[in-house]
Amino acid sequence: MFVERLLQRLIEGAHEGAWAYGYRGRGLDAEATALATLALTAHERAPRLVHEGLDRLAALQASDGGVPIRDDVPNPRWPTSLALLAWARGGEAFAQPRERAVGYLLRHRGKSFSRTPLFGHDPTLVGWAWVDDTHSWVEPTAWAVAALRATGRAAHERVREGVRVLLDRCLPEGGWNYGNTRVMHHVLRPFPATTGVALVALAGEGRGEEVDRSLAYLREVAPTLRAPLSLGWAVLGLRAWAAAPDEALEWLERCALEPGRRPPDPTHDALLLLAAADQALVADPRREVHDGP
Amino acid sequence: MDPEVDAKISRRRLLRSLGAVATGAGALSVARLIDRHEAGMRAKVCIQRAESYDVDLTSVVLDGFARLGVTASELRGKRVLLKPNLVETALGHPHINTHPKVVLAVARAFRTLGAEPFVAEGQGHRRDSWLVLEESGMAAALDEGELPFVDLNHDEPIERPNAGGLTRLHSLWLPNALLEADWIVSLPKVKTHHWAGVTCAMKNFFGVVPGVVYGWPKNVLHHQGIHESIVDINATVRPHFAIADGILGMDGDGPIMGDPKPLGCLVMSRNLPALDATCVRLMRLNPLGAVYLALASGFLGPILESNIEQLGEPIDALATPFEVLDYPHTRALRDV
Repeated sequence: MFVERLLQRLIEGAHEGAWAYGYRGRGLDAEATALATLALTAHERAPRLVHEGLDRLAALQASDGGVPIRDDVPNPRWPTSLALLAWARGGEAFAQPRERAVGYLLRHRGKSFSRTPLFGHDPTLVGWAWVDDTHSWVEPTAWAVAALRATGRAAHERVREGVRVLLDRCLPEGGWNYGNTRVMHHVLRPFPATTGVALVALAGEGRGEEVDRSLAYLREVAPTLRAPLSLGWAVLGLRAWAAAPDEALEWLERCALEPGRRPPDPTHDALLLLAAADQALVADPRREVHDGP
Repeated sequence: MDPEVDAKISRRRLLRSLGAVATGAGALSVARLIDRHEAGMRAKVCIQRAESYDVDLTSVVLDGFARLGVTASELRGKRVLLKPNLVETALGHPHINTHPKVVLAVARAFRTLGAEPFVAEGQGHRRDSWLVLEESGMAAALDEGELPFVDLNHDEPIERPNAGGLTRLHSLWLPNALLEADWIVSLPKVKTHHWAGVTCAMKNFFGVVPGVVYGWPKNVLHHQGIHESIVDINATVRPHFAIADGILGMDGDGPIMGDPKPLGCLVMSRNLPALDATCVRLMRLNPLGAVYLALASGFLGPILESNIEQLGEPIDALATPFEVLDYPHTRALRDV
């Protein structure tokens, strides 16, 4: 079974409780470490290793609550949302880094600017950016919305505006790309991975036409995908809306067992594992925290 | 005065003059400044005719190498990084990305000279390199050529001082694979670009800075100024060679939504500003209207026709007019 094989590789590929892109063996990549701990948690495996991974992320956290991309690169701090998603499943032991990460995300604002006919989206809306002092984009906004929702802050005004950012950036025919709907003359194309990420973030919102069209786009494209990052997020997006067909496991298995020239990577393995688990990244709707705007 | 500081001040003056080019008022002063900058600077550019992707492209590239004096003695045993332009994919739009057959042919030509080529890219729009490789046909080419691939977006980032100094970035983060390569080769597509005006060998290096540090899109570079960022990255990376895929280019709303435009050639050079300027002339556009080229002129290479030795096909034999979107920031390109 591919799940067991990927879990084994993920566990054996950890280096001192952390994971690096490409299983490089040295250093800590925050995204890889957060996704690996989420995947192991989703499959209820290696709890001590998961705890160690969450500890390594906490040790990486800067004084302002942000989590940098690596242990030797201080900025940017876009993995904060992914670390928060991981800590949200870590219990009381990680309450402190979790709250500091929430504070960081609530302070961090993507750069906005006035409306212009050059772009199709509303650039006055504020979501989250990859890098400080740059514009809001789909993935960091979706991750922040999902992470804040996972800590019970779905009603916070920043989350509400983040949801508006995502709906505004949805392409007319459904789906999302990195975050531009139209530039100058042309409407742009959707990508499977960003569509999946946005759908995960929007799970729990009302199901409008943006969601319906985007699910239709993913249902069409997902069976053709062979790349784990796109397929993993696509299936997670479908699962978030209970729209993944039974064959989804076969897509994931084929992707895992037929890598071709693609070298192993913990983010790829973790995404396929998360996509194979039910409800892996969906927040618990019963939990809601009210700590003001 | 310190010559480096002098050069920076001179480029800043040029930048101010370029602001007036869009209105036509500053064209003469820009031309004069560029002429002064390029004093004594020369480069060779070779235009190799190739009507389609089905001709023997390896021989075309090897012939270009011979004309430009690229030999086995300087390449034997060298690790050569080939950086194609892979942006995103769409069925029926092969004119978006560098064609896989060009990458394969270039790799074979380098192997013929004893080098060890590998392919590397860090896309600016799509994070999923493997999806772009598969959908563009590049994965099959990598298989056929047994070529390794490095995803520069997720490679180990290493900080280097910004050698250009035109943006406010004091340093640039570059991937380890790029820094460890002996030769760095840009393999762009010849296209118009809705922000930069044109995109070719120099703009292609936006794809070497890692997305994990700069984001998707690499918005930091947009905020710092596209033209200034192009020059800073090229000044810091110091590429060794470029081969532009002009067999089928793109005009109109490039770099992804434009129309296919055949030019029927590969363009090759050791000097990237000279190569880009030649490609702009092949597009029947004005290189002095491409701000990044004016900024690179005399600093990273020459762009004036009089300072470029043209080898292979003459420009006029293949040049064809490329449509450019009509916006103030692209108008100067059309002022031929």
